[in-house]
Order: sequence, then structure tokens, then C-alpha cells
Amino acid sequence: MFKPASSDRFNPGRLYPNPVNLILSFLNTIFQIRLFAAGKIRWLFHFFVFAGFLYLVTVHAFHQVTAVVLFDYYDPTVDPFQFLRNLFGSLVVAGCILFFLRRGLRLRVNQIKSNWGSHLKYKGLVSIILVFLIVGTGFLLEASKIISEPVFMEMVEDYSDLEEGDELEELKLFWQEKAFVSFDPTVPADPEKLKNGQVLNEVYCISCHSDIRSSFVSCLLADLMSFYGTVLNQTRVDVMLYRVHYGLCLALIVFLPFSRLNHIFLIPLSIAVKNQAPKTHHQKTAQVFGASLFACTNCGYCSQVCSVYPHFQITGNPDVLPHSKIETLKKIADKHPDVSLWGLQKGNNACTQCNKCTQICPSGIDLQTLWAVTHRIFSDNALVNNQTFFNRILPEAWADLETEPRMLIARQELVSDLIEKTDAFENCIQCTICTNVCPVVEYDSKDNDYTPQQVMNLLRLDQKHLASGTRMVWTCLTCYACQDICPQKIPVTDIILELRHLGGVRADAVKLQQTVKKRVEIS
Amino acid sequence: MKLAYFPGCKISFYLKAYGDSFESVMKHLGIDLVRLEFNCCGYPARGEHFEISVFSAIKNLAVAHKNKLDIITPCKCCFGQFKHAVFWYYKHKNLKTKIDDLLDQENLSWDGSTQIHHLLSFLYHEIGLDTLEKRSVKKFSGKKIAVQYGCHALRPFSVTRFDHPYAPTIFEDLVRVTGMVPVEWPKSTECCGNPILEGHKALSLTILENKFKSASLAGAEYICTACTHCQMQYEMTDYESDIDTHGVKPVLFTRILDAAFGGKTVF
Repeated sequence: MFKPASSDRFNPGRLYPNPVNLILSFLNTIFQIRLFAAGKIRWLFHFFVFAGFLYLVTVHAFHQVTAVVLFDYYDPTVDPFQFLRNLFGSLVVAGCILFFLRRGLRLRVNQIKSNWGSHLKYKGLVSIILVFLIVGTGFLLEASKIISEPVFMEMVEDYSDLEEGDELEELKLFWQEKAFVSFDPTVPADPEKLKNGQVLNEVYCISCHSDIRSSFVSCLLADLMSFYGTVLNQTRVDVMLYRVHYGLCLALIVFLPFSRLNHIFLIPLSIAVKNQAPKTHHQKTAQVFGASLFACTNCGYCSQVCSVYPHFQITGNPDVLPHSKIETLKKIADKHPDVSLWGLQKGNNACTQCNKCTQICPSGIDLQTLWAVTHRIFSDNALVNNQTFFNRILPEAWADLETEPRMLIARQELVSDLIEKTDAFENCIQCTICTNVCPVVEYDSKDNDYTPQQVMNLLRLDQKHLASGTRMVWTCLTCYACQDICPQKIPVTDIILELRHLGGVRADAVKLQQTVKKRVEIS
Repeated sequence: MKLAYFPGCKISFYLKAYGDSFESVMKHLGIDLVRLEFNCCGYPARGEHFEISVFSAIKNLAVAHKNKLDIITPCKCCFGQFKHAVFWYYKHKNLKTKIDDLLDQENLSWDGSTQIHHLLSFLYHEIGLDTLEKRSVKKFSGKKIAVQYGCHALRPFSVTRFDHPYAPTIFEDLVRVTGMVPVEWPKSTECCGNPILEGHKALSLTILENKFKSASLAGAEYICTACTHCQMQYEMTDYESDIDTHGVKPVLFTRILDAAFGGKTVF
């Protein structure tokens, strides 16, 4: 493995971001190019919601500082704004419905492929429901205003000099026929009056009101609501809906930092921080953990392409997969009591640093560095890897160590059972040819304890635990020079690899025992 | 001719030059490389978890089989692992059943028909020295070079069937095509030290240093590699400044070949 050297490498980084990168990351934020590259369907409804909501926030919610300033003819009820508001609103609704469908039908990639904790099952659901409700109440509010008689009367009072009488009746009739307003009592139809109403409409209303039919969603709703028009108008449902709509918007703002929607801000932030130049490992660690960890939205694309996915298939350890590792790291950062450091270390050690997860990550997180940093943190702490573990313990002491059988959780069937069957090594004649060709013996004569032929002899003496703790086994280069030259055709290297496996399983149990003991002592 | 390209995990991040030059050489030879959704070959898990290492390799073979393609890899550890896995897959009935079940869950299967090529054996056996000779427009006459075979493709011979485990010749023959002179080098089949770089760095680097020394004593200007891990080990000199290289430079075989074919590589 090549990990220490690679994790020592830094990308130089720079103080100010490269302008090209800046433009690219801006475009990525608006159009989600990385997500498009990862998954087209997901991008589609993500973009529906995002683009729709972005328009509604900038042009509709903040119209005082955007549309009013930019367009002197702006009015919410004037085209194209009336039409666009409906168009983008319906995009959001369509995106939300697709999102709910996908959740309901369990079509998410990562849900099929790994065990999800229950705390993640509903994550992101609250914010999408809020978005859906905000846009939904928005449409209902618009529809209720369309049918509202009181609103009509307020407008007449404010923008015309009409008094009670025939002219008002004519205008009312026009708005009842053409714009769905529900009057109580209903204005009787009359083609002559309607024509006069149209003239009055052109005089007083048309400068601020486009054809109501361009708000196509709200018109549909207004049509449905007009069945109960009288009741709805009397209870002033438009005012109620206005309060609900506004309240929900405030709720979303309050909820934003705690919901998954915070990725809107965290992803650009993490990309910005990523481009800074670290000077020490600590800075790099802070950088990686500080920003990128929380930009993860748990989409699961990384796990889909993960090179060591078969590792997960065999062991069932979810912390082999990147998206699960991030969740565990987040839990550690939260000082969550129920964290399996054990599984994380095992899973992270399996990483081959192929960079595929970093390449696909729609949030642009530098996952490769994250795993390297995690690896180094583990090597610095008590949970050492097996090679370091066996460097620190003498084989004799190792053989005498007692392991509780119940701690051997990682026990698996040793399918290649060379060390269990004596016929693999019993024919060793101790000719020392294997020792003579061994590069480890040649260059490490000072530190090395047992030679390959002595390891074989230990097996013949039924000392497999002692053999599994020897330095020879753990520094073996696996070059197979001994195996191919052996006159007795003994698979020396394969036996050594199997001893590693045996030692590894037992070492895991011992390390687990120590961790448990430490925990008991602390508590 | 179409082949499934198995780059292995390290090329895409640590050794892009190998991937690029390999693809360029294959393009010159008219080989279509198809990229499939492969996972790790299983080599890193070999001493850690036998089942994972065999299953990973067989899964890749099954993916290639599904696409009716043979596999070519420029990495000797990947090549050796594939051969190793196939050997044990047929030897252990229980393991075979377990793997077949797991493959079946993903609608995959493997019947043993997929061929596994390493870059060198493919060039030597399938393309042939004559064709390579004809295609080499540029010759590097008189340059002395030491070849590094790489352990996992060579040994165990009974499993890999690559070349003679102690007196191999195909790499030397292939290097001669470009006009270079391979030197007699006692350490050509010895390990580069990469497998224990993490576990025992000092020893790993001692082995590396000795390889440079003996190559220079044999009169070589370059050490030629055809394995991702070997090349990465030789390039450790970029990070460990106190290693004495004795003026010997590591070079990827595909880069020499690409330059000889008149490709983009400047050598």
C-alpha cells in the first residue's frame, strides 16, 4: 500500500481562488454540473426544485430589491412575471412530487445497497415538505385572491373613482366572467353590460393586470375554489393563507441551518476552503473535517462507484463505503456515544485510494484526502494497523496472549486451509533455500527474528500462533521467491499470507478487548 | 480487436502517465480499449481476507464476461491477483459456491472463459515482436537499460504462467525492439519493496536503494518497469531525497514504446 507517502502530499493550493475555477464553481452552483455528470434523472428533479425556488426567492420574495429596481413596468400581476411565477412554482411542485415518489418507491441508490440508520431515513424530508408547502400555499393564496370579492372591492376603491351603481356592476360582471371572481350575490349575465365592463376594465385595471389566464395553475385552483367562493370570501381565507405562506417562509429560514438544505451554503463554502493552501497536517485536517464533512448530502454516488464494494459484500461492514464513513465521522465529531471506531478503521483501511469517489462527488468534496487524513488519525492513535501492532509485540508474548473466544467477532472461515492441514508443510526438509533467496532476510538481518524455513518449522511443531506473530510473517514482501524455488514444493508464501490472516483475526480480538477494557475503566 | 481495460486503482490518481502512455500505445496498435465498471482487483486484501481478495477479482472477470471481452491490465499485481484468484476459485468448492451466489445476486456469472492479459505478455504473444519492430519509427540505439520484472506476474509460476520465474526473457526481448540494450542485472526478478512501504518503510527503502545500486553497477542508465506498483516505488525518490539513485532513472516501458512509435511522449 502507498498510503503514508500519498497522504504526505499536498496540493499546493493558493490564497485567492483561480478565476477560472471561481467561474466554474459558480456555474456548478447554479446548474449543478457535477450532479448532472453523476446522475441525469436525479439532476432533473433537483434542478426543477432548485431553479424554481431560486427564481421565486429572487424575483418574487425579494421583488422590492430585484424586480422593482430592474424593471420599471414590474407588478406581480403583469406578464411575464405572473406567468413565470406560475411556471417556476409548478416546476418546484413537480420536482417535489418526483422526490416523494422516489422516496416512497425506495428508488434511491444507497437505500438498496447498504443498511441505513433510521436517523437517516427521514433526513431531508422535512425541508422538502416545507418547500412543497410554501409553494403550495403560494398557489392557493393566489387562487383565493383571484376569487376574492373583498380584494376586488379594495382594488376598486384604491384604483378607480367608481361608486355603487351600474358601472360597478358592469365591471363586476366582467371580472366575474373573465377572471373568476365570486360575487355574492352573483351578477346576472348580460352581453351589453359585459361589453361596457370590458371598457371600464381597460380604463382602470388593464395597466396593472394581464390576462388572468397566464397564471395557469392558480386559475385552475380558482376555478375549483369558486364552488365554495362565498364561504371562502366571507372567512377571508386569502388573509389566512397569506399568514400561513409567510409563516412557512420564516419557518424555512429558521430551519435552514439544521436541515439538509444547508448544503446550499456548505457546498460552495467547502469548495472555497478546499482551494486554500494548507501548511501543516493539522491545517489540512481542520480544512477537510471543518468544511467538506458537512457539505455531504448523503446522495450515495460515491458508494456506487467504490472500488472496494466487494469488501462490503463479503463482510457487511457499511463503513467500507464512503457515504457511510462520512456519517460515522460526523457522529464522532458530534461525540455520539454509539460509534464503532472499529468498523470505521477496518473499512477505511480497505480503501485503495482510487479517487473514484472524489471524481463523482456532486458536492465536490475531496474525499480522497479525507480518507488519507482519517487513516493517519487512526495510525496516530490506539487503533493501530496490524503491521504496527505486530512490530510492537514479541512473537513469544503474542503466542501466550489469551483471547476471549467471544471477542473473535471477525472470525471467518479460513477457506484456504493450508496451515490446518499438515500435508502443506510437513515435507519441509529445512534446506534453507527459501531463507537464502528471501530479500527480507538479506536486508533486514538485524531486526528479523525467524527466517522462512524456521516459520515452516514452527508450524511443524504445532506453534501456529507463535508463527503468526513473527516479524517474518508481517514484513514478508509476498514476492513468492521462496515458494517457486522450494525443492519440496511447499507453498511458503501462501502459508505466510494465511498466517497473516490468522494473526489478524486474533489481533483484532485482542485490540477489541483492550478497547472494551479501557471503556470499562473510564466508566 | 477489443479488450476490456483494467487500469487498477492507482493509475487514475498516482500514475496518470502510465495510463496515458498505455492507452496511446494500444491506439497505435489498433486495439480498442473498453472501460467497464470494474472494482479493485483484490490484491490489497490478499493477506487480510482471502474471500474478499478472490471475490473482488472474480467479480471483475464476471463483469468482463458479461460484456464478452478479455481483460488487459498494465499492472502486474492486478494481473497476478487475477491469476491467483482463478486458481483458488476452482480449488475451493465452498468458496466457489459462495462467490457464485454473490455474483448471482447482481445478475453476473463467470464460466472461466475470460482471458487475462498483462501488457507485456499481450505484446509478446498476441502482437508479436515483428509487428512491434515494424511499427517502431524511432530507435534508441545503445541506451543501456535494466528491466524490472515484478514479482506478482512472475511467481508463483504454476499459477501465473507468465514466463520462467527465475530466468525470464520476454521483457528483454520487448525492450530490444526499441533499439535499447538490456543489461545483465542480478536483481531483475527481485521485489521492488513496495508491498511493505507502509508496514516497514525503512526496509522497503533499503531494498529500493540496493536496486538502484546494482543497476548502476550493471551499467544501466535506466530501470524499466511495466507495473504500477514498481514504478510508484521507484518514484519514491521524489519524496525521499536521501535515497541515492546512482544516476539511474526509472522509466515506464509504455513511455519508451510510445516514443518509439512516434507518439506524444518525449523520451
